[in-house]
Amino acid sequence: MAQAGKKTVLIVLRHSPYGSSLAKASLDVALATAAFEQSVDLLFLGDGVLQLLPEQDSHSLGIKNFGRQLASLPLYDINCAYVDAEAAARYNLDLTKAPVETRVLDPKKMHQLMVGYDHLLGF
Amino acid sequence: MIYSLLVLSSPISGQCSRSAADFAQCAIARGHSIHRVFFLDAGTMASSVNGVFPQDESDPVRPWVRLAEQHGVDLVICISSALKHGMLDQVEANRHERPGPTINSIFTISGLGQLVDACAHSDRLITFGG
Amino acid sequence: MILHTLNASPASSAFFDCTRVVDAGDAVILMGDGVYAALQGTRACAELQATGVELYVLFPDAQVAGVNHPSAGIISIDMVGFVALTERFPRQQAWY
Repeated sequence: MAQAGKKTVLIVLRHSPYGSSLAKASLDVALATAAFEQSVDLLFLGDGVLQLLPEQDSHSLGIKNFGRQLASLPLYDINCAYVDAEAAARYNLDLTKAPVETRVLDPKKMHQLMVGYDHLLGF
Repeated sequence: MIYSLLVLSSPISGQCSRSAADFAQCAIARGHSIHRVFFLDAGTMASSVNGVFPQDESDPVRPWVRLAEQHGVDLVICISSALKHGMLDQVEANRHERPGPTINSIFTISGLGQLVDACAHSDRLITFGG
Repeated sequence: MILHTLNASPASSAFFDCTRVVDAGDAVILMGDGVYAALQGTRACAELQATGVELYVLFPDAQVAGVNHPSAGIISIDMVGFVALTERFPRQQAWY
């Protein structure tokens, strides 16, 4: 890849892990972005917070366990993950058990976060 | 400005894929350049040669082909999404022992590195989904 | 400043999430099923307008849907207008 100005990317994840192929696609994009040493952070928003449920078991579906893949993100230097506070509360999530460490944000703070990136990829 | 597009929308579900192609045409008409259009997930079906459409309906793949033919826009479909959706060029068809290619050759099959490259090289990254 | 594109109906989680997150200085383009939020006299339209952000509806999609008289305060734009908005706003968030 040619050396261009580096751009910062925030991936906004809004869908549950197994109801569509979007969550998998977004994770692949995150990993590829990090692999090419571009900056990428994640924001789990709305139903996207469901990707953080701790006891996922996708074995019967014959597809990869999404939670386990999220847990490996720090190995790829993806360390900044943020969570929609309202959605997490709505689903009564215990974020201490989530597969990745996250910072919880209210809507205003989510907006402040989003304006800090060059590109927003909405999944 | 330099634009890239990320297209997730299926070409046969809703208007979004068509809107993305129209957006690209308008951006070029306004003097911008399109670095790349990257198709991911169901968006990869925009490359299909096998869709059959009634005479009184438009072919949703045509606007993309026209964009590439008229302006040389780089149309890239993500290899992992493409394979899952049965979108294969001759190389992949041979590799996976499938009857033949299923995509218009104006599209290129490649990896997510092309999307990362698009992000790094573009002033604007516009996502079309849903 | 964020340009939001909303491609889902007012009953969707995309509509709910988008209207929670938008803030002053942003703009929203209604497209696809999102155009139904431009229907006059609807709660969805009122919720959008209450955000105080710039509101646009993509004319070709509105015409297809029969949303021919968008609510006052929602500006009808064509694809050229869409491109022009992306020139002004450095980043876009797609909601669908």
